Amino acid sequence: MHKLRHTPGDPEEALTEAVETVVGEGPVYVLGLGYVDKADDGAGVLVANTLKKTFPDYSFSEHDGVEGVVLDISQKTGPGTVLFVDAGDLKAPPGTIGIVTRDQIKDTEISTHRVPVALMAAIIERSGKKVAIVAIQPKCLEFRAEVSQEVGRSVAAVVATLSRLMQERNG
Amino acid sequence: MRTLEVVPLTRVEGDGGITVTLDGKKVKSVTLDIHEGPRLIEQMVVGMTPEDNLNVVPRICAICTLSHKYASLRGLEKALGIDPPEKAQVMRDLMMLGENVESNSLHTFMLALPDFLGYPSAVAMLNDYGDDVVRALRLKKFGNHVMQVTSGRIVHGENPGLGGFGKYPTKKQMSEIALRSKELVPDAVRAVELFGSLEYSEYPEAETTFMSVNAPAKKFGLAGDSILISDGEETDADDYKKLTSERVVPHSFAKRSLYKDKTFAVGANARMINMGKRLDGQAGDFFKEHYSDRWLKNPLLNNLAQAIEMLWALEQMPETTELVASMEDPKRAEPTRLTGSGTGAVEAPRGILYHHYDIKDGLVETADIITPTAQNLDDIEMHMKLCAERMLADDKKDAEVLLALEMIARAYDPCISCATHLVTLKRL
Repeated sequence: MHKLRHTPGDPEEALTEAVETVVGEGPVYVLGLGYVDKADDGAGVLVANTLKKTFPDYSFSEHDGVEGVVLDISQKTGPGTVLFVDAGDLKAPPGTIGIVTRDQIKDTEISTHRVPVALMAAIIERSGKKVAIVAIQPKCLEFRAEVSQEVGRSVAAVVATLSRLMQERNG
Repeated sequence: MRTLEVVPLTRVEGDGGITVTLDGKKVKSVTLDIHEGPRLIEQMVVGMTPEDNLNVVPRICAICTLSHKYASLRGLEKALGIDPPEKAQVMRDLMMLGENVESNSLHTFMLALPDFLGYPSAVAMLNDYGDDVVRALRLKKFGNHVMQVTSGRIVHGENPGLGGFGKYPTKKQMSEIALRSKELVPDAVRAVELFGSLEYSEYPEAETTFMSVNAPAKKFGLAGDSILISDGEETDADDYKKLTSERVVPHSFAKRSLYKDKTFAVGANARMINMGKRLDGQAGDFFKEHYSDRWLKNPLLNNLAQAIEMLWALEQMPETTELVASMEDPKRAEPTRLTGSGTGAVEAPRGILYHHYDIKDGLVETADIITPTAQNLDDIEMHMKLCAERMLADDKKDAEVLLALEMIARAYDPCISCATHLVTLKRL
């Protein structure tokens, strides 16, 4: 069950409110996941790369080696929140944004040679920080195709929302 | 007739599963099914320049990316008569050490260890073995860092090129890697101690043949021009087809390999069996302490071999980085011909990776890539079938049998994405 399904055209206040429900005290870190060569699958990386221009110490993407980033964040003292941003199948119209809370991140082990998000979430949580996933429903996953308009709009909405939040929290 | 299935097979790279077909208590077959689709890379590169080929083929895999880059470089440079400068050779050694630490740390601690300790996943292991999970992340991060410094990026770096590198790292970067590698030795020692203390089931045990490269100068290493076989033979890497007679099977999108009509294994275990006596330092001490005849029969011991190898890789880094830092940055070596053939053989974390190229008038005419997982698949199935037969004869429960089979498959650290780079299916 997701906290919110923000569809394209919804006011951004609703998205901001939903994100704020999963954010605790301290700075907000963004980790963008996905594969940019597969159109909408790279939504998380697009969000992270855009935010990185303003918040280079708080926004990271797949290309930075997320496991190492998770390790570094977990070793920082004090509270904080890590938001993974990724394309995700929410069984909803393209561009829908879902907020997946920590208790909803299942210990599933997808068939791949990488550290599962559930494990990264658990490591962050052990360090006293909060974790959630901002998921965007993809429309197109074709190799080398353009990002769909629906997901493009949602990427912009997530960037705007997180940018405001990080400005407030991270200074 | 009934079947037992593991679908999907988790904690491996790519999309596969295991099917056990039973007739009463008799095991009719055990198959490692490869579901990942064919990717046609070898055909894609035909007509490309060697430089373009070098950019494309590592995309076969984001895990073994530098192994593909290096195997491709070795094959192309032989074909084009390129003699790379010594500093480039040492840098390539360093990038392979980084990839080895990155891959082996993840596989040992995160993918293999939970099974042995009785946890369903690394997440479940976190409360009791939290420090080991963090160790794995530290080692992986460092391996990624070495890959980034040498190749330009964590994944699919383009700094290594024909005849040398685009840019060489600074002395400061080299001294940082040397220092950090020393700091991380205790983490690798912990991996060896953990895997050295585990109970390894006898159910899958059976004699097989092991192949690895023969690293130069009688040292343990990850590249070589000839192939060592555990039966005592040695074959030039250019004759790789004699070692890997390939065939297609209906249940797999990856080709299979046999040697003298029998299965064989490649990987860390094979490297230890063929070159382990050459190890020195703590890695050498641990090898002497743990090595036994069981290594020749039990695929589960590949996990222990990976742990020892990770320690070796870290112990190599101070000397390797010092060597890089001590040499002037050379110019890239140029091709001396535009037509020729060459085979590159390197040790990817999961075993020997061959890249063979025929170049004509400066363009790729044919490419042949044989991955370690494709070589291991028959061996995995052989051990799984024996294990299933023995466990069922001992009235073990289905769930126990399936877990044992998963552990065998996982022990080889298979990379299904690599193995499905090309296959031809013939439907009769």
